[in-house]
Amino acid sequence: MPSQEDIALMAHLMRRAGFGASRAELEERCARGYEATVEELLNPGDDSGIDEDELYRYFPQFESSLAPVAAQTEWVYRMVNTTWPLKEKMALFWHQLFATGNSKVDNPPELLAQIGMFREEGLTNFPNLLVKLAQNPAMIYWLDNNGNHYGSINENWGRELLELFSMGVDHYSEEDIKEASRAFTGWTLGTKPPRQPVGRFYWSFEFKPEDHDYGEKEFLGHTGNFDGADIIDIIVKQEDTARFLARHLYNFFVADEPQVPAWSITPPNDPEAIDTLVKAYMDSDADIKSILRALLNSDFFKNARFQHVKSPAELVVSTVRMAGNYNQPRTGFPLLAFECGWQGQELMNPPSVESWHTGSEWIDGGALVRRVNFAAKLLSDTSLPGVKAIVAGLKVRGTLSPAEFVRACLDLVGPVEVDDGTFQELFTHAQEGGDVSWDTEDAATESEKRTGVMLALIAATREFQFA
Amino acid sequence: MLTTVAAGRVFDYSHCIGMYSTSGIGFLVPMDFGLGSNKTVYVLNRGVDEITLRISKCTLDHEFITDIGRFGMGDGQFVWPIAIALDADENIYVSDENTHKITVMDEDGEFIAKWGEAGSGEGQMRGPAGIAVDGDGHVVVADSQNHRVQKFTRDGQYLSGWGSEGSAPGQLNKPWGLCVDKEGSIYVADWKNDRVQKFSADGQFLLEFKETPGGVGGLHRPTGVAVDSDGDVYVADWGNHEVKIYEPDGKFIAALVGDAETPSPWVQDYIDANPDVAKARRRTNMEVEWRFNRPIAVHLDAEDRLYVAEAVRHRIQVYTKERDYAEAAINL
Repeated sequence: MPSQEDIALMAHLMRRAGFGASRAELEERCARGYEATVEELLNPGDDSGIDEDELYRYFPQFESSLAPVAAQTEWVYRMVNTTWPLKEKMALFWHQLFATGNSKVDNPPELLAQIGMFREEGLTNFPNLLVKLAQNPAMIYWLDNNGNHYGSINENWGRELLELFSMGVDHYSEEDIKEASRAFTGWTLGTKPPRQPVGRFYWSFEFKPEDHDYGEKEFLGHTGNFDGADIIDIIVKQEDTARFLARHLYNFFVADEPQVPAWSITPPNDPEAIDTLVKAYMDSDADIKSILRALLNSDFFKNARFQHVKSPAELVVSTVRMAGNYNQPRTGFPLLAFECGWQGQELMNPPSVESWHTGSEWIDGGALVRRVNFAAKLLSDTSLPGVKAIVAGLKVRGTLSPAEFVRACLDLVGPVEVDDGTFQELFTHAQEGGDVSWDTEDAATESEKRTGVMLALIAATREFQFA
Repeated sequence: MLTTVAAGRVFDYSHCIGMYSTSGIGFLVPMDFGLGSNKTVYVLNRGVDEITLRISKCTLDHEFITDIGRFGMGDGQFVWPIAIALDADENIYVSDENTHKITVMDEDGEFIAKWGEAGSGEGQMRGPAGIAVDGDGHVVVADSQNHRVQKFTRDGQYLSGWGSEGSAPGQLNKPWGLCVDKEGSIYVADWKNDRVQKFSADGQFLLEFKETPGGVGGLHRPTGVAVDSDGDVYVADWGNHEVKIYEPDGKFIAALVGDAETPSPWVQDYIDANPDVAKARRRTNMEVEWRFNRPIAVHLDAEDRLYVAEAVRHRIQVYTKERDYAEAAINL
């Protein structure tokens, strides 16, 4: 049997590099070992992690609908049911970094195709990913590169590429933006039939030589007849880029950082950790797996339990995975997609190219109530498979004192680590019912009921909001 | 290819019916359809949400008649409707793979009955999919998640059944569409085994349709099957976005890829009313619109005209089987 510490560490890894795991999965993974699990996560299969035929058999509307909710629902289904959790988690990471929104693109299928690109390319290397991003139709339209012409540049893509997607402010000049924009002229959209009245058609990337500026450019101290790929090649070799990406990875996987606009004036919470990630980036030529391997195996990661506020998508997906009631095609998936939006993260529609503000900014009075109600409702339902498994995990421990009962519930839901004050509140409630026993049918029924209530209370704790 | 010539047969694209629409004229995620009398067609639309699900009753001449049914658990309502069939009186049978029930309505959509019970016992169903009415008026259902076929009386009394999960001849894996030929043989789109199987009326395995010598005719997740008066077999090859055609003995002879070069009148009306859409269509190559996208159901009428519904294009393409077609010289 794995030690309690091994289980807790594995649970931490699976919350961050995935969307949580059941106790049975955690025990299986512990048997294989922490580093072996990291390697499994980093090396998923080539497939998407979902049986695509089954998906579109039971949800044909995912291929047909033009509505935002269909695209959002398809992605939620994939997050809940993927066999490759880190692949899907990276798609969410890149979506939050390269924020692209339906508010302007007005084309959910194209946004979902961008998520698919993140899923496919998200664990390759940063230069490749940036080139794919520059050629991604939804991004081209989002940042107006289809309006970036020879002799008449549009700087939107060039500016955000440098400011929000790679180097961060203060590490380039206005002139660099203009020169980068010149290099991306002619990177545009191919034509396609309109989506009405026979359904969706997909955009394609098209390079138009006649619209490209082949002249000499000066960019970040380099001179040449650069095109977009050359510009990306220069960008990814900058240590500032490594540092910027490292901070994003730290914020998403390790612990909450200040919001991105404050980064130029606020140092990282853990500069040594950032240095470690920067070194991994520079040593590996920006290989994403290498950087993540360094991150997930580091002490600063292992010691950062419950220092990251779950994003709405993380909270919704991890809770239904724990409850186990959405692990196959069924009705109700759109409500999960809506729930993410109601909690403040409308997938594929971030508030701006700057993306969502994360960490404690996910929480306000309204969002907190929604988060608690959502999780408490699911975890209090002892008819759900995942909750039944928790009840079964309690039963094998036999009769439990109120304190043991609270500790066992916290253990099986996470393990979730709570402070003394929270524990005392849970304990006080548990004490009212006395010992928890399973000896008779009536006692077992009552204990199951009490378990549902206790799980709902745990879902309402401050600590449950953290991953 | 507006005309497909193969092994003494000619399949000629005729026209198409339908357009994307959330109600009224047009379809939304058509899963199946039934051909009624007087050129009536009943198109079963899964829709994209609780509002757009319905059966569109219209004519093959593009006249909209009415919408039938809606989302829900009540009588005459559906959750995940997947297939539709008509009996000799033009009563409508709809299978629902979420509620595990068959609903029966009259031609105007008036509810008659609902039968079926979730389970894997005799006469129970789990995820009923394809449905057809045989020459005796019995209802044949692909009991998909139980990997079998079952026959019922029209009011739901169990008659017989066969099949088990597997890939050997006679076994099934999540079967979807099915049809009955004039001899009473039953053809089943054996969805997850990538083949169609032919059974006798009493369930004896007879033949399978799949990739044939030369590496042609392979299927990927077939969803629908139909047989014409010559015994030629047409398969909605959903995963490959084609319709595959086989001789009665299983030899593959041709694949249709979709030829809707001329929009349906409903589509043309939409284009005419939206000048920007007309311009957008002029600036690009429209061939991608002609081709099948998720062909999901195939049916034939009494003249052996082939009708192909496409889930992602929200339309039905129509082909004729020409009997006296003279091929043009190849060296023109």
